Amino acid sequence: MSLLTRLARPSTSRAFSSSAARALATPVQQKSALNKEFKIYRWNPDEPAKKPTLQSYTVDLNQTGPMILDALIKIKNEMDPTLTFRRSCREGICGSCAMNIDGQNTLACLCRIDRNSSKDTKIYPLPHMYVVKDLVPDLTLFYKQYKSIKPYLQNPTPPEDGKEFLQSPEDRKKLDGMYECILCACCSTSCPSYWWNQDEYLGPATLMQAYRWIADSRDSHTAERKEVLQNEMSLYRCHTIFNCARTCPKGLNPALAIAKIKMELAAD
Amino acid sequence: MLKYTTGTTSRLMSHSKIYSLKGGSRSISPLLQKRHASTKSIRTQSLPPSASVDILNKQRLLRPTSPHLAIYKPQLTSVLSIGNRGVGGALSVLLYGSSIAYLFFPGTFDGDYLIELASGLPDYVKYTAKTILAAPLAFHALNGIRHLFWDVGKFMTLRGVYQTGYAVLAGTAVSTIVLVLL
Repeated sequence: MSLLTRLARPSTSRAFSSSAARALATPVQQKSALNKEFKIYRWNPDEPAKKPTLQSYTVDLNQTGPMILDALIKIKNEMDPTLTFRRSCREGICGSCAMNIDGQNTLACLCRIDRNSSKDTKIYPLPHMYVVKDLVPDLTLFYKQYKSIKPYLQNPTPPEDGKEFLQSPEDRKKLDGMYECILCACCSTSCPSYWWNQDEYLGPATLMQAYRWIADSRDSHTAERKEVLQNEMSLYRCHTIFNCARTCPKGLNPALAIAKIKMELAAD
Repeated sequence: MLKYTTGTTSRLMSHSKIYSLKGGSRSISPLLQKRHASTKSIRTQSLPPSASVDILNKQRLLRPTSPHLAIYKPQLTSVLSIGNRGVGGALSVLLYGSSIAYLFFPGTFDGDYLIELASGLPDYVKYTAKTILAAPLAFHALNGIRHLFWDVGKFMTLRGVYQTGYAVLAGTAVSTIVLVLL
C-alpha cells in the first residue's frame, strides 16, 4: 500500500465504532421485525370540528426501546411528527407522561410494551379530562385543587434555637408513602367519583397531599387544614372504590390516606 | 403587544426579522432570500396581552372530554364497588317496593297468600327466583362488612382489598348455595 493511501485511510485502531462487523469474532445476526400495532387517540385543536379518532401505527419492537414512551418517541421521530404528548425525565419521576395505556392509567416511561404482536395496544389520554391536543390533558383544575390545600409548612412560631423544626424518626415515618407523590394525576383521573364530581371533589392525589400536611408534626395549622375538608363534597365523595391505589405508578396508597383523614375528622 | 399571526409562518417571520437587521438584502443567502420573499404577504395583528386569556377560553370551549367509562379497564376494585351500589339499589327497590305494595294491597301481598302462590310453581322457577334474591343479598351483606373493615382502617392496602374482594365473592357463592337449598 502506498504512503498516500495509508494516510488517507482514517485511523481504525482506536474507535470502537469503527470495528467492522466482519472483523468481530461472533457473527452479527439481524433481528427479524416484530411488528406491533399501536392505536393512539388523536384530536387536533386546529380542526376542532373533526371528532377525536384512534390512529394506527405499526412499530418494529426489535428496533425500539422496551417502554411505551420509547415507542411514542419512535413514532414521533420517524412516522408522525404531529403526534403530541408530554414527556420529560423518561424515568418515572417527573410525572409528565401520565396517560391511559390498555385501559389503565400509568406513566408511559415505566410501562413495558407487551411483546405479543397479535394484540394491539390502545393509548388514550387521562380519562375524563379536557383534551388540549392528542394525549395532552388540561391539568389546570388539578393544580388549582392542589394549591387549595396549601401544600406548604404552616408554623408561625419558630423553634427556640431558631434553626430547624425538629421531628422524631417516628413522626417522620408517618410521611412515608405520601411525600413520594409526583402529582402525575394517574390516581385522580382513575377515580370514577372524580370523573363525575371533578369540580367539587378534590380527588385522591390532592387528598393524600392534604393528609401529608395534616400528619406532619412540624405543621401547626392542622385544625384549619381539617376544617377545609369538613363539607359534603371535598372529601366525602370518596366511596373507597380503590382505583387510585390500583393504578398508582409509584405504588402509593392514596385510599389509605383518605381513610385516615376520615377517621381523624370523625374524631373531631 | 402580543403579535398574533396565522399559521406556522410566524417562525419564518421572526427569522426574516433577525436577518434583516444585519442590513441589506445582500447579506441574506439565496435560500433565506426566498423565505423572506414569501413572508412579505403575511399580515400581523396586534392584540393586547389580555387577549391571550380570551383566545385560550375560546379554545377551551371546543375541547373534547377524554373517554372514561368506555375505555377504562374493569378491575376488581371498581367492579365490586359499582356492583355493591347496583345490588344495594335493587334490594332497596325490592324492600321499599314490597313494603309500599303491602300497604296498598294487603290482600295480594299477604305472606300466606304469597307462600301458597310460590309452592304451586315448578322447581326450576323456584330455584331461579331464590338465586336471584339470595345472591344480591349475600353479596351486599358481605361487601358491607368489608366496607366496615375499611372504615376502621383494616385491609386498606391493595393486597388487602384484593384478598377481601375474592373472599367476598367466594362467600357470596357459598351463601347463595346455602340460602337456595334452605
